[in-house]
Amino acid sequence: MAGSTQTPETPKTNGLEALLAKITGNGFKLPSNADEAKKLVTNSQVWRSVFRGGVWKNTPRDRAAHIIGNVWLHLHPVRVRPRALKITYSWGMGGISFWLFLLLTISGILLMFYYRPSPDMAYRDMKDLEFAVSYGWFWRNMHRWGAHAMVITVILHMIRVFLTGAYKSPREFNWVIGVVLLSLTLFLSFTGYLLPWDQLALWAVTVGTNMAGATPFLGNEGPFSALLNIRINNDVRFGLLGGTTVGEATLIRFYVLHCVFVPVIAGALLMLHFWRIRKDSFSAAPYSPNEEKVEVWPNLIAREYVAAALTTVAILVWTLLINAPLEEAANPTVTPNPSKAPWYFLGLQELLVYFDPWIAGVLLPNLIIVGLCAIPYIDRNPKGVGYYAWKERPFANTMFLFGVAMWFILIYIGYACRGPAWAWYWPWENWNVHKAPPPATWNIPNLVGGPMMALYFALGIGLPRLIKKELDWRVAIPTTALLSITAGLSLKIFHTLLVNKMDFIAQNIPHFGLGGFVLVSVFLFITIFFGFLMPQRYIREAPFFAIYGPTMTLALLTIGVILKMGARLGFNIKYVFSIPQVNFNI
Amino acid sequence: MAETASVTNPTSEAISRRGFLKLAWGALAAFLGGTAASTLRFLFPNVVYEPSQKFNAGPVAEYPMGISLKWMREQRVWIVRKENGLFAMWGRCTHLGCTPNWFEGEKRFRCPCHGSNFNPEGDVIAGPAPKPLWHCKIEMAANGDLIVDKAILENRPGFRENAPYFVEYKA
Repeated sequence: MAGSTQTPETPKTNGLEALLAKITGNGFKLPSNADEAKKLVTNSQVWRSVFRGGVWKNTPRDRAAHIIGNVWLHLHPVRVRPRALKITYSWGMGGISFWLFLLLTISGILLMFYYRPSPDMAYRDMKDLEFAVSYGWFWRNMHRWGAHAMVITVILHMIRVFLTGAYKSPREFNWVIGVVLLSLTLFLSFTGYLLPWDQLALWAVTVGTNMAGATPFLGNEGPFSALLNIRINNDVRFGLLGGTTVGEATLIRFYVLHCVFVPVIAGALLMLHFWRIRKDSFSAAPYSPNEEKVEVWPNLIAREYVAAALTTVAILVWTLLINAPLEEAANPTVTPNPSKAPWYFLGLQELLVYFDPWIAGVLLPNLIIVGLCAIPYIDRNPKGVGYYAWKERPFANTMFLFGVAMWFILIYIGYACRGPAWAWYWPWENWNVHKAPPPATWNIPNLVGGPMMALYFALGIGLPRLIKKELDWRVAIPTTALLSITAGLSLKIFHTLLVNKMDFIAQNIPHFGLGGFVLVSVFLFITIFFGFLMPQRYIREAPFFAIYGPTMTLALLTIGVILKMGARLGFNIKYVFSIPQVNFNI
Repeated sequence: MAETASVTNPTSEAISRRGFLKLAWGALAAFLGGTAASTLRFLFPNVVYEPSQKFNAGPVAEYPMGISLKWMREQRVWIVRKENGLFAMWGRCTHLGCTPNWFEGEKRFRCPCHGSNFNPEGDVIAGPAPKPLWHCKIEMAANGDLIVDKAILENRPGFRENAPYFVEYKA
């Protein structure tokens, strides 16, 4: 060590330089420092042929060319308004959803290397991925949790777009595409849910596809199916399953749908979605005077990379800490007790408790999707495009958040309040505690229930419009709240007085305690507030056929669901109106 | 003369330009429609490889009074024996197809998916199920074995208590 001294450049290197100069045919110099080395590489013909655009000098022109000339970035505009960059405005949820879609594509393709979609092998392959394949657990966890995260981010994205009015003209149709993409996200989750072929998978998909079997006309258990000669082996459910029960044909069908068919359709719609955002001036945020646009590179792109990195870190932590569930192997005869759908479908599962399957499983979900698509065409309020407009859009915001809240309350009930045999257990109650079986349900006679429903819709549509005067909420809200409490209290008093005198009440509504009083009061007030006070104040003068009618129909249907839930939970009423011959059971 | 004129005059051809285009677009639409319909048909299999719905439930004399869970795991069928005979009930909830569990203490079937409750005859007591549980076709073979067929079902009171959904038997 001590003997070695620094030697000057050896002639050998010069020989190499001379050789390279001879080969390249011009004066070639070996780089003497890192900068020169970098320049040598980036100025080479090979590099230039791969990366277009010449030497990067970080001029505005370079930064613009980087967006325009790059196939992956060119769906961005070159410059955006600064308001579009604000995370408090956009929440970044659309971009994060897309990044999750990419993560799911990568992890999904890797899983496909080991997974064979056949009942004999699928479950064993899952076990292998978990225990035998190096890092198999990692990609499986990431795929599962990424999918859950994507459902959340897509829903949040929708809420954000609603609250900022970003679906209003000219973006109406892109909102519709967004609703379709939300549905496809859920359908991807649903089809992927079957693939592990465990008990969770089999029963969630059995219930889900049996809903298709309840479709009017096209499902073998649905109303009017006999008219079209629809049977168990030619109905829409048979087409979906490839058989009469969830079996090997179903597994390969769902595999193809999940891995190829739906991702391709979703990918195409994503392109359309992004393209239209770009064509509609990227952000709905309104112009302000003297606004100076900022460059997308690096301002927006850097934010997107940071969001993607943070999302990846979050998913990584989730992946490392919690394993994706895998229950026993699928058994088509034994249903786990209780059997619960994945959380984002638990609202639907809870809804199915209260109505005939085709109403809760086919009609209502389709109404929700159609209702969401219709929002930009019903909401003609020109105010509140591109910013949070609590004061200018009180009705739209309140009703939308009411619907979202209701969906998540249904999810919460299904998730936390349902135990074995789908009996009601409060979250703090132990499932091992024996619960008395539910009391027998009863139907309201059609001659009473029919007029009740007609009255509900007639009053619901008529009253807010007929009262022309602006009500003073400082009076109206306490009055209606008091009215609701009085109604709950009187029912409680009536029940106490009559329960031992009338057999009908003793038999059908044996208990009506504090819970019943609260339920009646709260549900009644919700009905009055969202079904009467809100529309009376804000839309009573709106055009009837274009705005008022459709809005009130959707609102009354939503509130009607709550009322029906109350009727079942509080009074054991099975159906308010029932024509069993055509499964019209509400 | 008239004949040659009709050949050379383009307007008197059997088909006009507009008519031809209409026909061509119509043919294309018919072709695409036919392709779509046949693709839809393609997705409905003609042969399914599913287990037979008919099975031998063994000697009738082996069933005690009440509800037997003997075949639930394999065939998803309860064999129910009453004073005057037996019937077989399909263990598929009429709501959305889960398998209800039998609770002897409560004398009820209760479904784990949406909470439907049924009495031992299969009639709905509580929960969302719209119809009673299905009774299967059941016959007694010459050797005393019960033959159950899950493909032939009945759930209407007054029909389900008679043959072929009920086997008269007294020990």
